Amino acid sequence: MIARLSLWLALRILGLAALVAPAVARSDWKLEWEAELRHRARYPTWRTNMILISRALGSLPDAAWIRRQFTLDADAVHDAVHGVRMLLKTPGFTVIALLVFAIGIGATTAMLSVADTFFMRPLPVPQAERVMTIWQYNRETGAARQDVTPGNAIDWVKRARSFEAIALAEPTGLNSEIPGREPEYLKATFVSDQFFKVLGAPMLLGRAFEAQDYQQGVRVAILSYPMWKNRFGGDASIVGQAVRLGRGAPHTIVGVMPPNLELRLFNNRFQRQPEPLVWLPKQGFVDVEINGRRTGFWNVLGRLRPGVSMAEAQAEFDALSAQLAREYPETNRNIAAQVVPLRAHLVGSLSDVLPLLLGAAAILLIVACANVANLLLARGVARGREFAVRQAVGANRGRLIRQMLVESFLLASVGGILGLALARWTLNVIARLRPLDVARVDHIPIDGRAAVIACVVIVVAAIVASLTPSIQLSRPAASAALKEGRASSRGGTRSVLVVVEIAAALVLAVGAGLLVRSFVLIQRVDPGFNSERVAVLQLFASPRLDTPEKRILFFDQALSRMRALPGVVAVGGASSMPFGEARMVLRSALAIDGQPPASGEDSQIFTTTVAGDYFRAMGVPLLKGRLFDATDTASSRHVVLVSSSAAKKFWPGADPVGSRVRFQFARVDFDAEVVGVVGEMRHDALDRPARAELFLPYSQSGFYALTAAVRTAPGSPTTVREMKEQVWALDPLQSVFDAAMLDDLVSWTLVGRRFSLFLLGGFAVATLLLAAAGVYGVMSFSTSQRMREFGVRMALGAKRSDLVGLVVRDGMTLASLGVIIGIVMALPLTRLLRVLLFGITANDPVTFLWVSLALVLVAAAACYVPARRALSIDPVKALRVD
Amino acid sequence: MNLTYPTTLVLHALANGYGHGFDVIDATGLASGTVYPILRRLEEEGLVTGRWESVSIAREEQRPPRRYYELTAAGEKVLERALERYRLTQATASRGRRLRPARSS
Repeated sequence: MIARLSLWLALRILGLAALVAPAVARSDWKLEWEAELRHRARYPTWRTNMILISRALGSLPDAAWIRRQFTLDADAVHDAVHGVRMLLKTPGFTVIALLVFAIGIGATTAMLSVADTFFMRPLPVPQAERVMTIWQYNRETGAARQDVTPGNAIDWVKRARSFEAIALAEPTGLNSEIPGREPEYLKATFVSDQFFKVLGAPMLLGRAFEAQDYQQGVRVAILSYPMWKNRFGGDASIVGQAVRLGRGAPHTIVGVMPPNLELRLFNNRFQRQPEPLVWLPKQGFVDVEINGRRTGFWNVLGRLRPGVSMAEAQAEFDALSAQLAREYPETNRNIAAQVVPLRAHLVGSLSDVLPLLLGAAAILLIVACANVANLLLARGVARGREFAVRQAVGANRGRLIRQMLVESFLLASVGGILGLALARWTLNVIARLRPLDVARVDHIPIDGRAAVIACVVIVVAAIVASLTPSIQLSRPAASAALKEGRASSRGGTRSVLVVVEIAAALVLAVGAGLLVRSFVLIQRVDPGFNSERVAVLQLFASPRLDTPEKRILFFDQALSRMRALPGVVAVGGASSMPFGEARMVLRSALAIDGQPPASGEDSQIFTTTVAGDYFRAMGVPLLKGRLFDATDTASSRHVVLVSSSAAKKFWPGADPVGSRVRFQFARVDFDAEVVGVVGEMRHDALDRPARAELFLPYSQSGFYALTAAVRTAPGSPTTVREMKEQVWALDPLQSVFDAAMLDDLVSWTLVGRRFSLFLLGGFAVATLLLAAAGVYGVMSFSTSQRMREFGVRMALGAKRSDLVGLVVRDGMTLASLGVIIGIVMALPLTRLLRVLLFGITANDPVTFLWVSLALVLVAAAACYVPARRALSIDPVKALRVD
Repeated sequence: MNLTYPTTLVLHALANGYGHGFDVIDATGLASGTVYPILRRLEEEGLVTGRWESVSIAREEQRPPRRYYELTAAGEKVLERALERYRLTQATASRGRRLRPARSS
């Protein structure tokens, strides 16, 4: 009894295992096992009963083993060969599917590579997660990640305990005065003694600064990699040599920084060459620095002690800021500290944009998959007979599903390879659009990691794309119906896919539309000046011009020489040039006679000294009173102009002209009369408000920095180079910090916007095209399926226009459904864009309306060709189909 | 080919006249799920040939015909080399002694 029971059980197990065995070998395989089991069962003992069952269980791995052999050797290869053959048979379909996959996979891979580079790849700094940058935060204005004032930086470095090393950095420059060479301004950075301990990165050559380098008067320098490569030809013997880098005695080069080490020190969001070329040791501090708590332009970075978290460091700095606020209430009342990990600092504004772009890439990939799925479905209908035949001769559902999967994989793999090329191209474009405050954009590689990413994307895409088709087409009922050679359904699944595509396209198009509108609006912003044909030359007076009188004379001569150049209309200069490369931020409290003194932010005004015909050169209008003229000299009564925004802020509802004001400029007290009001100017960016600004004549200040603004007439032959030469004619050793056209400087501030606009716009256009292709595919397919119906309708008296209406109405139904779903999805999603918008809300109805309209039009256009085909039906022929 | 220890055991059992799958299992003490794939692999590589026993015996026992395996010339050579390498003649021999003789017909 037990013997029979165990045999029965063993045979049941065998029966189950047989399901795993491949069909071709199944009967023989099963016979072999059954014979052994039955043979054993003839001589039952207690042990054989047990053995029978455990042995029978062994049939499962055996069946699986055989199955694997068969799958590898026969089925998979067969599927692949068959797949390739089928794909080659329909080259049109294959090419389109490949392109669709290439776009989707390429875009996704490119974006994932960007994300990988920024968020995953190790930084060239050991244990980079412990390196923090520390910034000032103004609680009153909300301005975040501000450069640190010297006084605060010194106190932070002295008092902070959370860091095993903490250092400060001060931007500086070297006027290279090498005889026989064009004078040049080398960007340099002073660093305090633990700076290289914070970084922990080994020098490429030589050594980091050591204690003895920080003694007064030691002339040593470390070169950046680009400086070493370009200026010294990558000569390793430079280490240890004394080289003339700036004025005075030469510097001994002690080391060369490693390549690819970008730190983006200083909040130079708008600088075009942000990395310093020369590193110098900061040898002690002077009083002005220790007490300097008004203007921030230094940086602090530190390496956390092991076990100390970022939050703990932030807490310490909160306490420190509170302490400093008590000690220096006048300057530090609203100053807090912000601890930002190095990586987050380097990622910069991309951390706002990247998730959006990743999302956009994902949407594009989904639409691409939906499109390929649609194509596969359409093709599947055409292949209905093939599938039906295969099913009839014994192919099971799994086999057909696998066939679809294999073909989808073939398409995705080849498409993915094309996609990688596309990704490379996309990344090149990104590198060219280099968003300003983002480091490392130009070295995003397409390498092994990118290939792995692409492989993952390909697998996902292949599975997603073949999911619906394989389930649909392998359904026995569908196959049976298809045997008749006619479609039974209208392709409900395909319609759903198209609706999804349109909805996704709408979401992206709305996002891109919002960005476009923001961009247009921001470009329409009046900066307050006319930037056309204005050249800007930023100069820092050399130490030879050691008195205000000498500087006034020098700049007066330089400006007049430029004025004499052909085609020059007006020349002026200002200490603080809007959108200039080096930002001079000079602010002062303003006291007005007859008004109660204000305090804090309310009392602050930007102070700028202007020379020559500055306002005319910049195209800034005079609104009231008079401009400065030749009568305003060093010895005459002190006068000032105020901007219209300053007039609004300090003289609300009153006329500032004639009032007496007191302020400080470059640590000199001024008591002056307001003689006029000029238009307001934006200084940092078009999306930031204009400055409340006060202007004083250069002849009364003799400040050490002046930026010349040279306006030329249209078609003027004078080049920026010739303007520079006018400076060198006066002093061949005077370097020009930066020379550029003003409108380039302004448009440079929009690079970040252009970047996100370009990419999101690109995704939107690609998705839109794919969605249009989807609509076209479905409509032309359903039209071709309905030829007979159309023929009947025409035979019964339907007009051709009725038929076109029928087709277009179907298409429009899908399109409007997609648009409605898309709008519903876009409403919450566009809020993610808020940071990037300017002048409109995230749910800007105008954008939504136009984009929806555009999408419906595109869909209508996609229906047009199929509709035309319906027009051309010959009813007699159509009825003869079958 | 890949001569693992179990493969060598199976070859050795076949050389000693244990022809049926279950007998090989008895002789080697390996699991059925191990022995069968090894047999199939050996057969595929031509080291072993499989035959079905005559239908008359099967009919007499009222079961399907059993399949038995024999070493080919190539299989014998491989086994020789394997034995040299593993020096396990004794090990399998002693294992075989402990077993009851297979009651094949």
